[in-house]
Amino acid sequence: MQLSSEFRENFEEQILQCSQCGFCQAVCPLFAVSLRPAFNARGKMMVLKEALRGKLALDEQVLDSIFQCTACANCSHHCPSGVDVPGIVKAARREMSRTGSCHPAFTGLSQVLAQHGNIYAEEDPPEFQRLLNQPAEYVYFAGCVGNYREEEASETVLDLLDRLELNYSLIDEVCCGGVLEDMGLQAVAALAQANLERILATGARTVITGCPYCARTFLERPEYQPLRDQGIQVLVLSQLLAQLELPVTTDQRVTYHDPCDLGRHCGIYREPRQVIAKIAPDFVELAHNRDQALCCGAGGGMRGAYPKNSLAVARRRLEEVEQSGAEVLLTDCNSCVHNLRNAKLRKQKIQIYTLAEYIGRLLEGAS
Amino acid sequence: MTPGLGHKLKEALLAIVGPEGFSEALIDMVSYSGDASEHSHRPQAAVWPRNAQEVAAILSLANQERLPVVPRGAGTGLAGAVVPVRGGLVMDLARMNRIREISLADRLVVVEPGVVFAQLQTALAPSGFSFPPDPASGKVATLGGNVATNAGGLQGAKYGVTRDYVLGLEVALADGSLMRTGSRCMKSVSGYDLTGLMVGSEGTLGVVTEITLKVVPKPPLSATASASFGDLRQAGDAIRQIMSSRFTPSVLEILDAECIKVLNRHAGQSLPEAAAMVLAEADGYTEQETDLQIRQITQAFAENDAQNIALAQSPEEAQQFWAARKAIGGTLFSLNNTMLAEDVTVPLSKVTDMLVGIGETARRNGVLIATLGHLGDGNLHPNLIIDGRDPDQLARAHRAAAELFALAVELGGTLTGEHGIGLAKASFMPLEHDETAMRMMRQIKRTFDPHDILNPGKMGL
Repeated sequence: MQLSSEFRENFEEQILQCSQCGFCQAVCPLFAVSLRPAFNARGKMMVLKEALRGKLALDEQVLDSIFQCTACANCSHHCPSGVDVPGIVKAARREMSRTGSCHPAFTGLSQVLAQHGNIYAEEDPPEFQRLLNQPAEYVYFAGCVGNYREEEASETVLDLLDRLELNYSLIDEVCCGGVLEDMGLQAVAALAQANLERILATGARTVITGCPYCARTFLERPEYQPLRDQGIQVLVLSQLLAQLELPVTTDQRVTYHDPCDLGRHCGIYREPRQVIAKIAPDFVELAHNRDQALCCGAGGGMRGAYPKNSLAVARRRLEEVEQSGAEVLLTDCNSCVHNLRNAKLRKQKIQIYTLAEYIGRLLEGAS
Repeated sequence: MTPGLGHKLKEALLAIVGPEGFSEALIDMVSYSGDASEHSHRPQAAVWPRNAQEVAAILSLANQERLPVVPRGAGTGLAGAVVPVRGGLVMDLARMNRIREISLADRLVVVEPGVVFAQLQTALAPSGFSFPPDPASGKVATLGGNVATNAGGLQGAKYGVTRDYVLGLEVALADGSLMRTGSRCMKSVSGYDLTGLMVGSEGTLGVVTEITLKVVPKPPLSATASASFGDLRQAGDAIRQIMSSRFTPSVLEILDAECIKVLNRHAGQSLPEAAAMVLAEADGYTEQETDLQIRQITQAFAENDAQNIALAQSPEEAQQFWAARKAIGGTLFSLNNTMLAEDVTVPLSKVTDMLVGIGETARRNGVLIATLGHLGDGNLHPNLIIDGRDPDQLARAHRAAAELFALAVELGGTLTGEHGIGLAKASFMPLEHDETAMRMMRQIKRTFDPHDILNPGKMGL
């Protein structure tokens, strides 16, 4: 298989920049659970260097290296040579998908999204019984996980937004489409178009997302440029909640997991902690926090393609939560919550919520 | 393309380590083809043994089949020591990663070879003890690798290198037998020093399966000073004065003019441009103790015309001083795609001559060489930074490196203070070691490994 000239032009320098020092091994969640250097960023760069030199083809034989990555960016964050590993991995996946070597877990994803509008191929959208496609100041965008896997949590979040008397509407949302590019697949233009039209039709000035990944997609991808052009703000829930009075507190000892998409990818560490400071005086940090945070294992397509290692990564994070002595683990990402809940062992008594869901539950309990 | 193993051999290996402990997958062969050096060659298969018995059984089989075996830790080495140049098996010891015992009463720890250096430091931290030789790769590097390469670090002058802490080993030999060396004692003169022979032998004599390490209390306080010098000779004179005093700094580092320029241009630092910047740390148990030492050092700076002499007034300020030193490795790596990280070492009194010679070598060959170094032990790191895709630059860099080796040896120094010989410096061994010494080394190698299966092609043997 020939590498595209686009790949060479944009990524050859970057890949060769990897000095193979191996320092990424100290922070790679996949290496931590597998002790297999082929999964670590250096292993991936070595594969790509050989591909650039024509010594191997990017085909099925290298799937488990190139497609096994949570895109947590801890490697690039610690890379002495400044290599943008998640960007390179995404491009390599694009090369592989282009030549028919996409991971089998994702081969049909574009069609699924084009047909169903969500990553789970679910037929029936959730019925939240809220304003839908109506004029409002805010749009709440739950995302695929919030709509189809963590519906109860989403319901609690919407209750909270109601209590806080936020003027919001839902839209007939479809997947933000970010996942396609991460898997190296073609973006489905119709998805972004549908979301854009429906968001703009509400006249909202702010979009609140349940997943930081959707927020990143709205903020970064070219398909969503019209949002930026019109000055529409995109926030995750903790950024909104940090601005509001929260009429509830708890005695529970809580801790916070920085989602990779919100933390290392967007640099948002302060707001979630500001929210927690308002409601939970007994707060402890996890041993690895902020830009050093351990990954939950869900991202980059890991949960779909490599569920065993994805859960192993999540269990490693939960071990750290146990060591912290916290009763409640809070985060600001539906996807993290979903994977961490799935990974939780019965003997582990930790409660796991998004910040908004937790506050919603506290308010429900208080009323 | 390296051919795979034969069916029979593969079945025999699977019988020892099981399917979870064996791989011929392309991605593993590629990831085990290199380390942090420019060298590369794929193995035919990889094994992940879980205990000494599996290691021994693999070696016994490989010995019968004349199959090369390359033991590997984290693969952070800079000399190509774990590159399987003759194919064969890579034996990744990462899964043997238990700390078996911490005994403060005996002042020792017993670890498996796959324990990461930082993992041991974390385990020791609550007790206030440590295992001092701290390579820059300490967050990743394994103790097995540290033993195999006799790894050093920043504190060599005061606290020595890995060899000074290895009390005993369990080693699997080429014929499949297990050997215990050394003891759990602080002193032992019983028989030949087989432990010392194994340390730094780069996996050419056996595979270490258990390590008994001495640990020492870590002084809780430190004081830090820095200064810049307009002339390398002044810096050298200051170092000579410090090292001739009654005190040994716990760290004494130098960054040359190229390093300073690079940090100012690419790492947002605003260091005074100078021929060299020197950073010193003195550790101890009381402030009086650290203060006394650091003042000797700053006095030596002042008496040798140093500029910008500064004494850190708080731990935070000390951190700022060290920020430049910590940033340099990464900044140099990011300058271009290839860096030959050398580590020539010379007697303390010859450090200035070596530094001056490095500058001349860089100019003569038209290669950017940025040098940092551990002055307290004479270990210098001239880093040759080039575009490795350009054959001309590569050739000039290799020529410059060869000239540096020759100069170091001429000054009574050594090819390598801590990175090891591996492949990178194998051909230079006779430059440093006379014929008799080379002959004895080859005889030792043959005694331990008559069929040359253990990391063959390394160390010029």
